[in-house]
Amino acid sequence: MKKPEDITTRLKIAKKKAKKYNENNKNQNSSSLGSAFKLSTEMVASVFVGATIGFILDNWFDSKPWLTILFFFIGVSAGILNVVRSAKRMQKNTEKV
Amino acid sequence: MATNPMHQFHVYRIGPEIKIGNFDLSFTNASLFMVVSVLTILLFFYIGTKKKAIVPTKVQLLTELAYSFVSKMISDTAGSKAKPYFAFIFSLFIFVLFCNMLGMLPYSFTVTSHIIVTFVLAIFIFIGVTIIGFLKHGLGYLKLFVPSGVPIILLPLIVIIEIISYLSRPISLSVRLFANMMAGHTMLKVFGGFVISLGLIGGWLPLSFSVALTGLEILVAFLQAYVFAILTCIYLNDALNLHH
Repeated sequence: MKKPEDITTRLKIAKKKAKKYNENNKNQNSSSLGSAFKLSTEMVASVFVGATIGFILDNWFDSKPWLTILFFFIGVSAGILNVVRSAKRMQKNTEKV
Repeated sequence: MATNPMHQFHVYRIGPEIKIGNFDLSFTNASLFMVVSVLTILLFFYIGTKKKAIVPTKVQLLTELAYSFVSKMISDTAGSKAKPYFAFIFSLFIFVLFCNMLGMLPYSFTVTSHIIVTFVLAIFIFIGVTIIGFLKHGLGYLKLFVPSGVPIILLPLIVIIEIISYLSRPISLSVRLFANMMAGHTMLKVFGGFVISLGLIGGWLPLSFSVALTGLEILVAFLQAYVFAILTCIYLNDALNLHH
């Protein structure tokens, strides 16, 4: 029923598809390792920035240690927000592929 | 000297002391390796783009690969609007990559393992992106800090959180690169020290670890340059296409 030419073209298409799939997968692997590195520091940096802002404000208003504590927690929530946001972005990227 | 794993990060003066006011502008080993990496990049791209053959040589292939890699990265993450910033992101990526890779050579110095180097890169990106955002959107760029659909009562808190998360960008960008490079190189040195102290009998195990870690470090060196560049693209994307 099927001619040999038919099979060669189909083989060609299948090979092309497999190659494309492999390429996509490879890209995803390297970028997901990159995003793992990304997430780990994202959280710490926000906490650090929040605590620093609190510390500076404490020095201004002479209200040690209350603003540092407050801004530490705000920094933690900013960090969580950052992590959730980049996780969402990653999810969107994987769905697109 | 060789037993201290932190010794490789020492910055010392090469040549005469140059002082302008209170600033010490002497030429150090860190500056030497920055110059070396820039020269390597120039040489690499000079050789790669000299012939422009249709069937490329190996070096030309590598340069073209680098070009299309960064070009694809920018169009994937920041869209077509970010095309004018290609030159900046390309040079940033290549510079960080070459600094990391030259640091992998024995007896060399890793420029990116110093927080001040990575922080200066990151803070310039941060300021630049903020200026681009204000130029493109005017005061509307401040909408970045006010997400839509938030109740009025929560708004002040959310705005503070958003500002902190915006300010944390240069810190996370610089600390990530610096910490990865420094930790990796310290670990390599520590395992190298184990090889010496355990001697011929027990030294083989840390030696094999050292070999494996070197491979890992080369991967990290590439990956961190990639992450640095791609995060710059993402920040640029936030500034160019404002939406929340």
